[in-house]
Amino acid sequence: MVRRAAAPPPRILYGVIELHHLTKRYGTTIAVDGLSFRVEPGHVTGFLGPNGAGKSTTMRLILGLDAPTSGQALVNGRRYTSLREPMREVGALLDASAVHGGRSAYNHLLCLARTNGIGPTRVAEVLEQVGLAGVARKRVGGFSLGMKQRLGIAAALLGDPGILMFDEPVNGLDPDGVRWIRDLMRSLAAEGRTVLLSSHLMSEMALTAERIVIVGRGRLIAEATVAELTARYPSLEDAYMALTADSVQYGAAR
Amino acid sequence: MKTVLSSEWLKLRSVNSTYHAIGAAALTVVLGIAWTLYVAALADERGTLRAAAPEQGFLPLVQMSLAVLGVLTITSEYATGMVRTTLVAVPKRSTLLLAKAGIIGMATFVAANAILLLTYATSRLIANGRHLGFNQVSFTDDLPMLLASGLSVTALALVGVGLGAAIRSTAGAIMSVVALLFVLPGVVTYLPAPWNTRVATLLLPNLVPQMAGERLSSRLGDGFLPPWAALAVLLAYPLVALAVGYYELRRRDA
Repeated sequence: MVRRAAAPPPRILYGVIELHHLTKRYGTTIAVDGLSFRVEPGHVTGFLGPNGAGKSTTMRLILGLDAPTSGQALVNGRRYTSLREPMREVGALLDASAVHGGRSAYNHLLCLARTNGIGPTRVAEVLEQVGLAGVARKRVGGFSLGMKQRLGIAAALLGDPGILMFDEPVNGLDPDGVRWIRDLMRSLAAEGRTVLLSSHLMSEMALTAERIVIVGRGRLIAEATVAELTARYPSLEDAYMALTADSVQYGAAR
Repeated sequence: MKTVLSSEWLKLRSVNSTYHAIGAAALTVVLGIAWTLYVAALADERGTLRAAAPEQGFLPLVQMSLAVLGVLTITSEYATGMVRTTLVAVPKRSTLLLAKAGIIGMATFVAANAILLLTYATSRLIANGRHLGFNQVSFTDDLPMLLASGLSVTALALVGVGLGAAIRSTAGAIMSVVALLFVLPGVVTYLPAPWNTRVATLLLPNLVPQMAGERLSSRLGDGFLPPWAALAVLLAYPLVALAVGYYELRRRDA
């Protein structure tokens, strides 16, 4: 997919996410347990793990939504909450339904854009890019999950950030949308951006990601390239199953 | 800060609940007209009578409706999950809360004063020289009461913002506002004298007449507080509520 017809002036897109012994405790349960890894630019990094492994919590910690119990998460060497215009450095889609249903898609994005000094032209641009230009004035409450995912992706792209994080972005998307996301992730990474993508769809991950970080019970289980994993195991799915066998907390009896 | 203010202003304008709340408050004008027509008809039969001024009698409706506006500005974000999207765009909690308070403060101050003035003007026009009690002093004599009333609405709306941030649930925060406005003043009258009067003078609804230098009520007698002290107590309400709201916003995970 061609992201833009006319290429903008080249811009250095360099972004790094670093976790240092990141730990988050909720009461007696440890959601994230001393997690350390780096996410680097230029490729899609897949973030895998069983349900309850701490993927979403880790992303919330990176974005400053939750405060870590100990350790730290840094974006471009700084804590997220200290960034002045964070949308220009990090774009994130955590929960596509985290929108006010009464607002139109355009107003929703413009509300977000204004906080970071981003103008309405850019809002129209991202709406076009995610394919929602036709329903820009419609209330978000009437959107399907797939359309909300597109809206969330539009919000993440608003500030043209060097770092992008997506939590299960393909949920609810039709096959056309799934392919669109895959191409979008890869082209964003090819532009030199840092892309962290969580998903449970192994086949999709094998097609999209180049590096894989696997967590289980809040701990790092593996950090490798897809090529390394598929060399040692028959498929990425087999690698995932073998590596997380001990970490599945909410599995059905087998 | 300016960017976040403009975002919050758009947020307020782009949802229907804002217009419902202001519409409910504006019912005061209609009720004021109905009330004046009623007492005017009575006066035509009996001559002189002493009726309550509609902008004072229906003030609780304005206070309650616009306090709900203050509550919703933050609890609607928690109810929909929008708050997480917002906090990713504006990670600084203090900036966000101040912007919300600033916009609600301005919007409710303008709306409340417009509604109260309109109620005042229409009722005096309809009264048209009849002796209804409330229309027998000049506008300049009524002005302190009008200003105090408008200010009390804004103060209560800001209390709503603070309580919304602290409690996060719409129902909980609105219940607290109701308690402050309607329940506490009732309960306090059962305190042993002289504590009933002493505590009553500090309650939000009773601060309005005290600020205007008027009698509290026949039962409570003249207020204990001089106008400046009543104003200081009124301002303390939103300050305390917003401080608690800020503390909770920072302390708890989003």
